[in-house]
Amino acid sequence: MRLTKVFVLAAAVALSCGPAFSQATAATASVDTAAKPLSTRIVAYQIEAKLDASKHTIAASETLTYKNLTGQPQQTFPFHLYLNAFQPQSTFMTEVRRSGTRGNGPDSDWDPKHFGSISVDKLEVANAGDLTNKMEFIQPDDHNTDDHTVFQVTLPKAIAPGASVEFHIVFHDVLPRVVERTGYAHDFDMVGQWFPKVGVWWKNAWNCHQFHANSEFFADFGTFDVKITVPQNEIVGAGGDLVSSVNNSDGTKTLTYHSQDVHDFSWTASPSFSVVEDSWTGSQGPVKIHLLMSPGHMASAQRYIDAEKGTLRLFDQWYGPYPYDRITMVDPPHGGADAGGMEYPTLITLGTAVHMPRGVLAPEIVTEHEFGHQYWYGMVATNEFEEAWLDEGINSYTEVKVMDALYGKNTSAINFPFAQMSESGLQKISYLGDPDTDPIARFAWLFINSNSYGGITYGKTATVLLTLEKVIGEDTLRQALHTYFMRYRFTHPTGEDFLETLEEVSGKSLRWYFNQAIYGTQILDYSLTDAHSDPLKWWETSARGAKVSAKDEVYRTYVVVERKGEFVFPVDVDVKFDDGSSAVEHWDGQDRWVRYQYDRKAKIQSAQIDAHNQIIMDRDPFNNSFTEDSDPRAAHKLRTLWVFASEWLSQLLAWLT
Amino acid sequence: MAATNRGTFLSGAGLVWKWQRLVWWVFFVCLIFGFFSTQEMTERASSLLDHNMAAQRLVKGFDVSAVVLLQQLPDSPLEIHGHNIVHFSLLFVVFMLFATGGILAAYVLDEKPTTTAFFEAAGHHFWRFFRLLIYLAIVLLPIAGLAAASSVIRTHMEEQSISPYSGDHFLEAAAVVILLLLIIVRLWFDMAQVIAVAEDEKKMHRALRRAFGLLRRNFLSLFWLYLRVSIVAWALFAFGLYLWMFRLSPQSNVAAFLLSQLMILIWLGTRLWQRAGESLWYRNYQAKQVPEPAWTPPPAPMYMPTAAEPQQ
Repeated sequence: MRLTKVFVLAAAVALSCGPAFSQATAATASVDTAAKPLSTRIVAYQIEAKLDASKHTIAASETLTYKNLTGQPQQTFPFHLYLNAFQPQSTFMTEVRRSGTRGNGPDSDWDPKHFGSISVDKLEVANAGDLTNKMEFIQPDDHNTDDHTVFQVTLPKAIAPGASVEFHIVFHDVLPRVVERTGYAHDFDMVGQWFPKVGVWWKNAWNCHQFHANSEFFADFGTFDVKITVPQNEIVGAGGDLVSSVNNSDGTKTLTYHSQDVHDFSWTASPSFSVVEDSWTGSQGPVKIHLLMSPGHMASAQRYIDAEKGTLRLFDQWYGPYPYDRITMVDPPHGGADAGGMEYPTLITLGTAVHMPRGVLAPEIVTEHEFGHQYWYGMVATNEFEEAWLDEGINSYTEVKVMDALYGKNTSAINFPFAQMSESGLQKISYLGDPDTDPIARFAWLFINSNSYGGITYGKTATVLLTLEKVIGEDTLRQALHTYFMRYRFTHPTGEDFLETLEEVSGKSLRWYFNQAIYGTQILDYSLTDAHSDPLKWWETSARGAKVSAKDEVYRTYVVVERKGEFVFPVDVDVKFDDGSSAVEHWDGQDRWVRYQYDRKAKIQSAQIDAHNQIIMDRDPFNNSFTEDSDPRAAHKLRTLWVFASEWLSQLLAWLT
Repeated sequence: MAATNRGTFLSGAGLVWKWQRLVWWVFFVCLIFGFFSTQEMTERASSLLDHNMAAQRLVKGFDVSAVVLLQQLPDSPLEIHGHNIVHFSLLFVVFMLFATGGILAAYVLDEKPTTTAFFEAAGHHFWRFFRLLIYLAIVLLPIAGLAAASSVIRTHMEEQSISPYSGDHFLEAAAVVILLLLIIVRLWFDMAQVIAVAEDEKKMHRALRRAFGLLRRNFLSLFWLYLRVSIVAWALFAFGLYLWMFRLSPQSNVAAFLLSQLMILIWLGTRLWQRAGESLWYRNYQAKQVPEPAWTPPPAPMYMPTAAEPQQ
């Protein structure tokens, strides 16, 4: 760890001289195109792009070779034009105005000069000629004719199964001011979702959704050969191996990247980046870590690196190998945070602040989360439009596991002497903000709003899987995720594929759980509504008064547990008595309530539902227990804080007098 | 002037110490209001947490997610108390508006603040200071406008500038300027209050005008007096927070309570220190303004009886 720090510092000093170092280093990356493909390569993109760094525009051309593996002739092809989402009448903007989006979203007074767009100037198909006039915008999701995020083109002749078709597209990007993962801020350009991308033939139909406020992406695997021309002072990071770098006579340079067995390609450029290089060796060999830091953020560089290495190690150990030889990590500048927290194949964007306290593990969490997407989205390439929980939710669960392992179970989100928070706690509170409006299994853009989408897709799925550990065990769940990853990497599995894998590996029928947790909106909440002891022969006790020895007294103890929510889940109830004895009850939770009764020469000491805190889905942990001994310290602590807050506010307002 | 100012700075603290019962009175009123404002929350929190094993998440540390969960509960003990705190804080403002007359009377006249004298002075000046509060609101409006304009400029700079921090740096500079302006405004209105008490000035606009003149002519010394006390206040408050957050054991409820109250006490004391310092400054100023007689008649010849004269 310390050696890494030294290396980072040395690299930072060396790289401050300019971009040449990073290019030279990256240029040594091996490009083993001869090896057996990891994926079924359906698409091959060759793109040439030139960035106008002052206008934040890109002039580009693309050659897409699409191999028809659909098993049937294909004549019509849909394409995504994601950047057109950043227009005022797009479906994305309509949804943002209606019910929010991730991050800050566009301002309510969004200036037209901040809009983004992508225009196709020319579309030719090999052997079919110029089909630009045949392009038509379609709106498969909402019929908003002002939305231009998807177009389709019908070829004069169908492409036979097994044959390939070659599209030549000339296009022009206008990057928006940073919004929804892409765009520019100051001298920083994050170029994501920037080229015409063909839809996916899936479930016997084209799957090419419009760009929505609450959805991400879906694409086929293939190869990318991308030439990027930028001013020579720009430092570039990309989701591919740098094959060559050539300085041009006009003050620009052209960088050539190659990437394979991925389904997207993104890149970033800024003259202000500081480059940090590191590496990690896993079961598949060395992985280069290429970190691009924005001004003022260098204090977080080592935190990013440590989190990245820890995550690489645990994913490699738990879920499967990372097969790529690099990962590019991009730290967006101050003011460009909406480009942060995003995953692209072998390139992730992060997020920190100038004075990020050590106790706030935001840089670590975002690093872990976005890297996790290399597995859950990058390789296990689920449909983020339709089943966002499969990438965001599973990834949030593995985020909890990795962060807990790296930073401590109770301190994996916030770790100060005065306050702590666990990752599981973070996921749970995000879920409980709006727990029962939408089910997990719902198309991303059909959630009632962005809060529900975020809370359910990320937080609830993580909480559901954490609770599933109680049913099948933590190790079994880990094994199931490993199986799921190894079986479905480089494919497009569905939610049912995932659930069936869980059942298969655990050897248990889990439909009763999935139907409630994944497909339903039921709330899980058990409550201990009564726990008390009475003398069994109370009338004798009353008559004998103080002469009776307490230890000879037989008490009848009642413990009542209620199921307050509609979610049925088996629970354990631990009952302890003041003579040291105890009882553990197992209730299937089918009825609305259950009463336990004990006759002992002891009174109740405590009763607790889910004593080991395994049912993370339980909405209210504060109604799960009772203890005879009073401990007022928690209430006192809260009161101290609130009295102080009240006095402090009083003092501030009294300044007016 | 510097020597005088240093004297006022320390003597102001001495005056607060001398009439410390004022600090204690105000502090206890603030504390009582604080308790009242959180009483319902404490009762509900106690009924929920005292016999609850989940409460250990708040005892052995401070689990933020547990607090958020408490907040999210349908019958959350934390649910309604934001309003209570605001209400009691506003009540405290009214109390301070009332008490300021009594406090300043003790400082300006340097007389023991007996209960009777305190309440007489407080009642005597209450409506005058209420009118001053209205004037203050008017004066604060342009400063609020300045703050809003700064925010707009910052946004504009963020959009236009290549440097990611230029907007923030501008805003930080603007915040410092606004903070200094607020200190100056408070200094001005505090001086008006001192004049109102010292001169029994009924017309607040006249007190404000005189205070403005005094401030203008003695700006540096008065501003430096206030600024230094403000720095002491903020430094001690920050140190207190540091101790509370990073040095105290999470289980030290009593120590946390005492420290929090000490922080409030010091904050209050430094505010009164500013007022005492300014009152002293005004007293000294007045003393210097006693005009020398323009012409002194020669002393009358003294007639001293001699021993030879007969006694009457």
